[in-house]
Amino acid sequence: METLIAVNCSTTECTSLSPNAPIWQDVLAQAITGELLATMNYTSLSEICGDPEEVADALEHAEIERGHAAAFATEGRKIGVDTTNNVDAMHWKRLRDAFMRCITERDFIGCLIVQEIMLESFAVASYARVGKVAPGSLGQTFARIAAEEEEHVDHAMAILRTERVLDAQRFDDKVYRLHLDVMTTLAQMLAKECKDGHCEVCHSSCVKPSLSEVSLSAAELRGASLQQYLKTLDMLGIPGEVTLAWVAQLPV
Amino acid sequence: MGGSVASIAGRERTLEVDFALVGHQESWRAAADVLAVLRGPERTPLPDDEIKDILPWIPPRAVCHVDVASIVSTKIGGAKARGLYIDSFIPPDRLDAAYVHENIARVRGAAACAIKAGAKIVSLGGFSSILIEGNFDQLPERHDTVFTTGNTLTVGFIVQGIKKMCALEGRDIHRSTLLIVGATGDVGSGCARCLAPIVRRVLLSARNMERLRSLAAELQADGAQMEISADLQRFSAEADVVICAASLASPSLLLGRITPHALVCDAGYPKNLSPRAEMLGAKVFFGGLGQITGGLKFAPDFHGILNRHPFPDVVHGCLLEGMALALEGRFEPFSQGRGSITQERVEEIETIAARHGIYLAPLYNADGPVEDRLHCQTEWSRG
Repeated sequence: METLIAVNCSTTECTSLSPNAPIWQDVLAQAITGELLATMNYTSLSEICGDPEEVADALEHAEIERGHAAAFATEGRKIGVDTTNNVDAMHWKRLRDAFMRCITERDFIGCLIVQEIMLESFAVASYARVGKVAPGSLGQTFARIAAEEEEHVDHAMAILRTERVLDAQRFDDKVYRLHLDVMTTLAQMLAKECKDGHCEVCHSSCVKPSLSEVSLSAAELRGASLQQYLKTLDMLGIPGEVTLAWVAQLPV
Repeated sequence: MGGSVASIAGRERTLEVDFALVGHQESWRAAADVLAVLRGPERTPLPDDEIKDILPWIPPRAVCHVDVASIVSTKIGGAKARGLYIDSFIPPDRLDAAYVHENIARVRGAAACAIKAGAKIVSLGGFSSILIEGNFDQLPERHDTVFTTGNTLTVGFIVQGIKKMCALEGRDIHRSTLLIVGATGDVGSGCARCLAPIVRRVLLSARNMERLRSLAAELQADGAQMEISADLQRFSAEADVVICAASLASPSLLLGRITPHALVCDAGYPKNLSPRAEMLGAKVFFGGLGQITGGLKFAPDFHGILNRHPFPDVVHGCLLEGMALALEGRFEPFSQGRGSITQERVEEIETIAARHGIYLAPLYNADGPVEDRLHCQTEWSRG
């Protein structure tokens, strides 16, 4: 697997390789790929923003996400593993394509929904779970970045709630269309088993069956991510019975 | 598809919500059926292991809209009330004490959904009321929303069911010995107050002897003949009428050696009686259920899923209490606290329910109906 985007990291001394290092290597590879995708998404978003303040905001977010990727790469070095990334891996590419369709349509609100509501819900919930079980600075970094990502969501929520007040039905329709596109892919990524073959991010075989060795499970990461997503949709004001049906209809 | 789902939400949002029903599923099978409806017929149902993995993560939320109609006519047609069914998504295997704090948080979450939806009255079904009945101060800050455990109408339907079953079996209730399992609970003590004056002898069983003594003293002061024991087996062979109203996390109650031909009312949610219980000729029926005759609609259609009974429009009494009060326009916390249900209050809520066409449901058990349906409708339900 090729590293497509270079992550600028500080040089850190490697410690001895723990038996769980290959598992963390794959967890970090997924996280770095997600952060780099977010970097690309915010950079693209800056290109359709009309307001200079929004442009600056988007570019600032892009830099923050790049910093997260670098922090994860540094943690990889600390445990003695080479962390690759692959934003062209099948699932991640589909997520990028969904975002780029919003860019093509110059749909600023659609972009926020995809990145801040859907992708960030996944990041916040899964990083927080990893943060609880990962050892030492690795766990601390995941927990810190989970908290920072949550702050992003708060910023976007204010914009999206204002937008929903203008036309709730139109807004909910848009969220549902994007849900079908993005959350279907995320649900496939979060499935307990990868049914579509190798994800093109894990360095050898799929990491999911090994997660129990580090007190994690694919089911737990999926559950926490969907719970975070539902809570975020609740905060937007979309009726709970509607979003429950959306989530219940996702593939497993 | 997208348009239709969101459009329905848009229409619903503008409508007022009179009541909310807070509940949870009593078995994984029931939970699977709810999720199957939500997934729609075009998608394969979720495998059992996926359901057990996913359900515990679902935050409390509305599942469907519920419309109930009264038999009372108004100038603009029949009286109606509009509500929501909110599931706390307590996993069916996590009802025991080890999860009490988590489950209280779930009920609080469900209550917050009801408040946010603007429900004027909220009925707390099943374990929701058990978790909250002594802790109403733990509910979120309310504005114009009141909460009721619904236990008073549950007691009413249990008592009606006992009387009806005695009549159907040709038993003289006045000569019977009544055993109440879970006697110190809100429902158990309510049943004791209603039935002690009319049976020959009352046996009260519960785990807490202090509460048992207190209840016995209250009932004896009114002239009832009674005994108490924390040892259920001591009583089970003596009673010919039994009410099982214990707060059990699963159907695990074994009554032991029971009188042949005893009448046993299982009023638990989840059910009390273990499927392994040897009843030796006893007639078991499920208690505390009522039937809506004015009309009941779910949107989406959860008929037979949220109310899994062999008769149409049958609902647990605890939930019916909120619906009846909403139809009556009495938005008040009718049942609250623990151990305060009196015969007068039971008669009051029964009268309100009956006025709107909510009657005792036809009796049934795990094997199906225990009586002739027509007989039930004419002789009792509308009586």
